[in-house]
Amino acid sequence: MPNLKDIKRRIHSVESTMQITKAMELVASSKFRRAKERAETCRPFFEQTYKLMAEIAAEDPYFNSQFVHKRVDNGSALLIVIAGDRGLAGGFNNNVLRMAQARIDELVQLGEKPIVMPVGQKAVDYFERREIRILKSYDHVAEHASIYLGIEMADLILSTYKRHTSLQSVELVFTNYVSPIHQVAQHMEIIPLTGLAGSHPRRCEVEYEPSPEAVFDKLVPQYVAGLLYGAIVESFASEQAARRTAMENATDNATEMIDKLSLQYNRARQSAITQELTEIVGGANALE
Amino acid sequence: MKTFRFMIVTPDRTLFDGEVQEVIARTTEGDVGILAGHTRYAAALKTGMLTVKLENGEYRRAAVAEGFLKVSDERTTVISTAAEWAEEIDPDWAERSRKDALAKIKAAQNEPDRMARAELKLQRALNRLNVSGHGTGTFQSPKKH
Repeated sequence: MPNLKDIKRRIHSVESTMQITKAMELVASSKFRRAKERAETCRPFFEQTYKLMAEIAAEDPYFNSQFVHKRVDNGSALLIVIAGDRGLAGGFNNNVLRMAQARIDELVQLGEKPIVMPVGQKAVDYFERREIRILKSYDHVAEHASIYLGIEMADLILSTYKRHTSLQSVELVFTNYVSPIHQVAQHMEIIPLTGLAGSHPRRCEVEYEPSPEAVFDKLVPQYVAGLLYGAIVESFASEQAARRTAMENATDNATEMIDKLSLQYNRARQSAITQELTEIVGGANALE
Repeated sequence: MKTFRFMIVTPDRTLFDGEVQEVIARTTEGDVGILAGHTRYAAALKTGMLTVKLENGEYRRAAVAEGFLKVSDERTTVISTAAEWAEEIDPDWAERSRKDALAKIKAAQNEPDRMARAELKLQRALNRLNVSGHGTGTFQSPKKH
């Protein structure tokens, strides 16, 4: 028969854990709401930028920009990996890092030396422990990110791409927010912008000032900035959603455990009382 | 007067979406005025003032950061990294960000990328001061202290 005191102590410990998970759930849930709103408001900006770019590219079938066409067939890649700043969010960090690592392994097997740009403390920690070249690390930026962070990153990425002619592509690994209970790690190519020319088949005569090329070259950084900012915001929303789900489960488990322990405690208490009564009755009988 | 659909889109919000009579924006090539029925057109915008003549004939001014202006058949769009109406701008905040930008320019002497970003920040701050009526009228190059 378990000791009454021990059970009581365990109930207390589970209760205080539950208080923490409950609090984390509430915090994640309010952060999630804000992040989701932010992710939704920045979408039109990105879509309009992309549309304008696709229109320029569609205008001229021989459209030429260094960012549109593949320049080498086999080359290295720059990977931007966006994870969270904190753990305790279910499989959130793990999934995105595993996907990034799979892509890196693939490149390494081809004899390439990929470069990474980790965003979020967890991604930074992960890649710092490995033998891989880090272009620049960004940690604790997601919660208060603005478009200017995206612009800063875009400048760095584009100048790196221009300088390193062995770079075949710039790729992004982040977590796409699908629904409050479903977030998927995703891998996509940012540069070159292949498929851009074909994505907008309608040709229309547009006047560009000063020239289509000049407008396009200015659009690319804004597009990449918008994309990165969007991905960071989306990842943050996913992280909060994942954490909320994980903490909700933990709270549920704790409740279940407390119920079980309470039952055990009451049984133990009852059997102790029964035993005491039996002893008293037994003692009284013996006196007669 | 004939009106047309006009939108101002930024990453933080859609500042405006509605019918207007006229839009005047500052492109890299100079100011352009857009009226209903304008030909399809796209241009890069400089940080500057944007003036909108609303459906009721009232004028509204906004401070717009770098971005693009696009005129298509169905609507005219301004896509910019930041945009605020003149009356929304907090001059104290704009003044603080002007000082902050100057400090950043000083700190970024040998880094062209950072320098360029700091200069854009300064332009945005000066533009905000200007549009809200607290500026000096022109963009001044940073003074040496």
